[in-house]
Amino acid sequence: MADDMEVEAEREGCGYQKNDKMFTLKKWNLVAMWSWDVECDTCAICRVQVMDACLRCQAENKQDDCVVVWGECNHSFHNCCMTLWVKQNNRCPLCQQDWVVQRIGK
Amino acid sequence: MAMPSRTSQNPHGLRQIGLDQIWDDLKSGIKHVYKRQSMARTRYMELYTHVYNYCTSVNQSGQGAQQIPRMPPGKKTKQPTGGAQFVGLELYKRLKDFLKSYLVNLLQDGQDLLDEQVLTFYTKQWEDYQFSSKVLNGVCAYLNRHWVRRECDEGSKGIYEIYSLALITWRDCLFKHLHKQVTNAVLKLIERERNGESINTRLVKGVINCYVELGLNEEDPTAKSPSYEVYKVHFESPFLEDTERFYNRESSEFLRQNPVTEYMKKAEARLMEEHRRVQLYLHDSTQDVLAKQCEKVLIEKNLEIFHCEFQNLLDNDKNDDLGRMFQLVSRIQDGLGELKRLLEAHIHSQGEAAVEKCGESALNDPKLYVQTILDVHKKYHAMVITAFSNDAGFVAALDKACGRFINSNFVTKLANASSKSPELLARYCDLLLKKSSKNPEEAELEDTLNQVMIVFKYIEDKDVFQKFYSKMLAKRLVQHMSASDDAEASMISKLKQACGFEYTSKLQRMFQDISVSKELNDQFKVHLATSGDPLDIDFGIQVLSSGSWPFQPSCSFVLPQELERSFQRFTAFYSNMHSGRKLNWLYNMSKGELVTNCFKNRYTLQASTFQMAVLLQYNTGETFTVQQLQESTRVKQDILVQVLQILLKSKLLVTEDDENDLQQDSLLSLFSGYKNKKLRVNINVPMKTEVKVEQEATHKHIEEDRKLLIQAAIVRIMKIRKALKHQQLLAEVLNQLSARFKPRVPVIKKCIDILIEKEYLERVEGQKDMYSYLA
Repeated sequence: MADDMEVEAEREGCGYQKNDKMFTLKKWNLVAMWSWDVECDTCAICRVQVMDACLRCQAENKQDDCVVVWGECNHSFHNCCMTLWVKQNNRCPLCQQDWVVQRIGK
Repeated sequence: MAMPSRTSQNPHGLRQIGLDQIWDDLKSGIKHVYKRQSMARTRYMELYTHVYNYCTSVNQSGQGAQQIPRMPPGKKTKQPTGGAQFVGLELYKRLKDFLKSYLVNLLQDGQDLLDEQVLTFYTKQWEDYQFSSKVLNGVCAYLNRHWVRRECDEGSKGIYEIYSLALITWRDCLFKHLHKQVTNAVLKLIERERNGESINTRLVKGVINCYVELGLNEEDPTAKSPSYEVYKVHFESPFLEDTERFYNRESSEFLRQNPVTEYMKKAEARLMEEHRRVQLYLHDSTQDVLAKQCEKVLIEKNLEIFHCEFQNLLDNDKNDDLGRMFQLVSRIQDGLGELKRLLEAHIHSQGEAAVEKCGESALNDPKLYVQTILDVHKKYHAMVITAFSNDAGFVAALDKACGRFINSNFVTKLANASSKSPELLARYCDLLLKKSSKNPEEAELEDTLNQVMIVFKYIEDKDVFQKFYSKMLAKRLVQHMSASDDAEASMISKLKQACGFEYTSKLQRMFQDISVSKELNDQFKVHLATSGDPLDIDFGIQVLSSGSWPFQPSCSFVLPQELERSFQRFTAFYSNMHSGRKLNWLYNMSKGELVTNCFKNRYTLQASTFQMAVLLQYNTGETFTVQQLQESTRVKQDILVQVLQILLKSKLLVTEDDENDLQQDSLLSLFSGYKNKKLRVNINVPMKTEVKVEQEATHKHIEEDRKLLIQAAIVRIMKIRKALKHQQLLAEVLNQLSARFKPRVPVIKKCIDILIEKEYLERVEGQKDMYSYLA
């Protein structure tokens, strides 16, 4: 069936024989893997890889909402780990600079 | 019974009635009773009254003691010896003498009888005697109630109630002299029945009843439970000896002339027959001992012959006979052990032989391999259920045998890795779940997956299975090759059930990513449509989360400009949508379609991204050297060569050099005479090294992953225990991980050393082989 259609398409295509390109691109299926753009792939607060949800979110089955946060110092942690951390100490646990959020992952 | 109020004398008066006054009449009455002639009620009452009168009369022995009649037994006052006495001894003696002489006479009639005659005589006489004695007992009820009871209470030996007295007298005067003949006759009769004759079982039953009745407890005549002693000593033990002799002879003779299978049928029938014999005419208490005796002779003595035959039966798949043997041998305590051992060895060797028969071809034919294993399992599983009643010991033997031959057999030895079994099983799953023309029906597929789980249960290296399974699932998902989402989900839930959430969490994440990607694609399409600047190609994208997928990012290369535009549009779209993410491209997983304009027909080529990159070069020229292609695409040399080889094989490109030995300056040109029967051609065949390297890498990764799992287990255990001996730690680690794989002890030791180095653990000073946990 598919082949019949191709034949059909080909006959129609005879008119375009003058196409000077040997090959034309018709379709492309691209596969990519995303990861957080971080320097260290482990969250220093909970010791879980930032690509995985932190343990709290794993336990509460909120894996999809567990994102990463970057500070001005360019250190990164699970956002939920960091929100708990800053309640006690508003410094980056790695470099002790004052914690200022640079961006939050999405 | 009403009191004999018709007597003219005052029953409560103190009168003297001598024994002689009543004895003659009483005796003639008793004689009447023992002749078993019918007796009028009034005559019976008369006799009763005689006894009553005698017992209530003032003691004529001159002791002068007062007799208080009808004293309730409970309120009797104990009197010193020589005090008031109930009257009765004389009467008792005379009754005893009467019975004795009656039986002595009787004995003369029966003394010389043998066999059935003696039985007929004995049972007939016994029935009469027993009946008459019961009547006599009734006549003497008053004597029993007062004089006899009193004597017994005071501990006099040799005084019994009249019925018991009659039994004892029978025993001493008749039974004693006759029992040999009688017992012999009974045994002969039973033997005749065993030999197939029909016998008068009433005779046997009569004798048995008599023997049981005679077993009264002389020490304590009032005891409720009879002792059966007479029965046991004079019948049961000779009977058991006889039984043993009989079956000893029979079974050895039968076995000499018949096969064991026939013998088992015979034994089964005999056991049944003996069971019925006891029910029919022996005493219930014989049931167990007789069964034991028969089992000993019929089964236990021939156990070795059975064991030899068991192997034959297994070899010939005689399930019925196996079942019979199981039923017989299970009667013997601890008799089944050898059978279980033989069964396990048999299944193991059958399994190994079946796999070996497949030979080398099984190495690359997962279906053949798994089906071979399943056939063996199915056959013996059915056998365990039907022949061995699903006995737990036999189920365990089946499991052990399967575990052994599945994890180590001809194929795993050939591959030199026990992990070949899980790999082949995972590949079989891939065959089942991948889209193909041979995909089974849904119900059938579900059934087959359940079968797969049977084999999975026996796999030791479950982690290896997981690795291969996730690799193949990943490919199925990314390439949209899954036959059915339902079947995939069902298989994952089966694995989850067998191994827990953690085992399948990544598989589930992959599933999720695919649906997220679908949404993303739709959103991107909407974005393109609304932007008013659509792409000129059909562009699709899948974005997977790293960490869940068993893929490595591929090497980079120069994107052909035809691809560049859509690539840019998408990355812009994506970074607008998300932040903090970076994308790694899996070009080796990406693919596309090219339409040809240069050949006779317009073909659509399904090609990998690298193939596309190479072919698109030919839009600018007809011939390139390998080096030129490398410079323009910047694909890694070894990969590029493989890509080129595939294109050469598919006859899209041609070269004058040897295609298996391409040089940097080899010239490659487009083959204008390209032809194919189909208009849609898939040239995207996997590169050889890709497949091989991948399999090797998978096996190598497993060792690394195991080390991490072992370390994690050690830390978990030590965190709970704080301090532990080396041996205990090993045991707990093995126990914790056995559901996944079997860790090797040297590897565990190595992991302990690593953890000591990393300061998770330390050796306890002064204590040998002791570790403690460092928080």
